[in-house]
Amino acid sequence: MPEDNNNRIEEGSVFLEIDHLRKVYITDESQTVAIEDLTLDIKKGELISIVGPSGCGKTTILRMIAGLLEPTSGTITIGGKECSEPGSDRGMVFQDFALFPWRTVRKNVEFGMEVAGVPKEERRERAEKYIELVGLKDFADSRVHELSGGMKQRVGIARAFVNHPDVILMDEPFGALDAQTRNLMQAQLVRILEKTEQTIIFITHSVEEAVFLSDRVVILTKRPATIKEVIDIPWPRPRDRAGPEFVALRKRILEELEKENVMNG
Amino acid sequence: MSTVFGWTYDKHNKNHRMFRKMVIAVTSLVCFMFAWWDISVLANSAAIPTPIDTWNALVNLINEGDTITGRSVWDYIGSSMKTYLSGFGLALLVAIPLGLVIGYFAVVEEFATPVIEILRPIAPIAWAPIFILAIDYTIGPILVVFIGIFFPLLTNVVFGVKEIDTKLIDAARTLGASSSQVFTKVMIPSAVPYIMNGVKIGLGIGWMCIVAAELYAPQLGGIGFYLNEQATAGFWPAAFAAIAIIAVLGLLTTGLAEVIHKKLVNRVGMTSA
Ligand SMILES: Nc1ncnc2c1ncn2[C@@H]1O[C@H](COP(=O)(O)OP(=O)(O)OP(=O)(O)O)[C@@H](O)[C@H]1O
Ligand SMILES: [Mg+2]
Repeated sequence: MPEDNNNRIEEGSVFLEIDHLRKVYITDESQTVAIEDLTLDIKKGELISIVGPSGCGKTTILRMIAGLLEPTSGTITIGGKECSEPGSDRGMVFQDFALFPWRTVRKNVEFGMEVAGVPKEERRERAEKYIELVGLKDFADSRVHELSGGMKQRVGIARAFVNHPDVILMDEPFGALDAQTRNLMQAQLVRILEKTEQTIIFITHSVEEAVFLSDRVVILTKRPATIKEVIDIPWPRPRDRAGPEFVALRKRILEELEKENVMNG
Repeated sequence: MSTVFGWTYDKHNKNHRMFRKMVIAVTSLVCFMFAWWDISVLANSAAIPTPIDTWNALVNLINEGDTITGRSVWDYIGSSMKTYLSGFGLALLVAIPLGLVIGYFAVVEEFATPVIEILRPIAPIAWAPIFILAIDYTIGPILVVFIGIFFPLLTNVVFGVKEIDTKLIDAARTLGASSSQVFTKVMIPSAVPYIMNGVKIGLGIGWMCIVAAELYAPQLGGIGFYLNEQATAGFWPAAFAAIAIIAVLGLLTTGLAEVIHKKLVNRVGMTSA
């Protein structure tokens, strides 16, 4: 692995702090409180999933961490530095991929390094490595529109991982994929994580996905979102989806979410 | 697959598709010629010559030039082309950057919109006498062509910038792109299909403008001037030959733009705008 931003911070220590975060959307007609007093510490190298009722404010949280949206109050800091602007220290993977259609797979993966002024040779080499890691070696020079949904998202993953950001924000990254592709992608993400120790905040609607991937699962309340419960999952990966522990935990989280939805009316 | 006159058409075969297209296009042109011929005979007016008379006048113009002025057809075409290309080039130079900036910066749009909305509805040709008197007879027609192409091109470029998928901008920013990098590496490439659309529309309008503008600038001696001269003198076949030349030039320019469009779209990897 080339020089990695993350190496400055020790594995397992807190480095991303969300402190009393609050977000109110103000439009001409109405005010929507999306996030209410949300405090959460994220540790270096963990994969933390966020689950919650539809429309509770998950994307809002992620966009604020990315610096694409300003908090109404409260702060988000990485290593003490506030996340007020987007930057290459926080990568993002989008549900609908958001790949640049006029670029090839390789050129998409190189984008972050290109804007950072990384020399061509190094860019190529690093991109090559990540394209291989996500299994798209034979498609490096393909156009994005020639790829299937699963392949597109692998480009999205490579494009974010190749820059070694402090944290990668994934907003329902596999939500647009069919069930089978989705399982394959989850397994592949687990394999990639073994090699990279990348910190990831992962939003999903699938509780099974959250339990399969995460070191911790954050359950949010209905809107305005705040933390209902944080569940540690200290099991090794890859995990057995059919194992009794797995099934029991999945059921418990589903029940918690169910309660939120019932209260939602 | 379907069979016509014992010939089997396969729509997955490129040559078959081309052949089909050509047959239909030629049929269309033949129908047009007959309609023209009919109208010419029925109207029985000198002002509507038959296709054959027009063809003879065209051949004559190409071979002999204009016997009165002593200028060749290429002088006329060359003069018009010069005006046309200058106006077109100027429109590209101004409308594309301006459109990108207007589409990108809300302040610029708010500032520019009132002026644009006042000027846009004015027919380009209305400017011809003003420009030609106020500036001169070479630059005046160029500016008329410029205005004709400028507005449709500008509108398309602005639209292209606004139609951009905001997710792509978010993606670029989270990959570390600065505002100017977002502009050059995201806005411009995604606006290319819209820009080309505007260019294609503008090219046609440019030809409409030039013929009209040349009426006000006889000194230029363009093809529009020739048309007017022949019509005024009652040499209708020659006037129609001039119209035919303008039609062919128009077809050539839009055809060329179509080819460039296909190449560019292919290059940027977008299926369509
Ligand atoms: N730009 C905006 N202006 C006003 N309200 C907004 C805006 N964006 C989101 N909201 C509202 O804020 C709330 C939270 O939205 P958000 O997209 O964060 O939820 P989510 O949990 O990601 O939803 P989903 O499960 O559908 O992905 C919703 O009620 C939404 O309608
Ligand atoms: Mg969402």
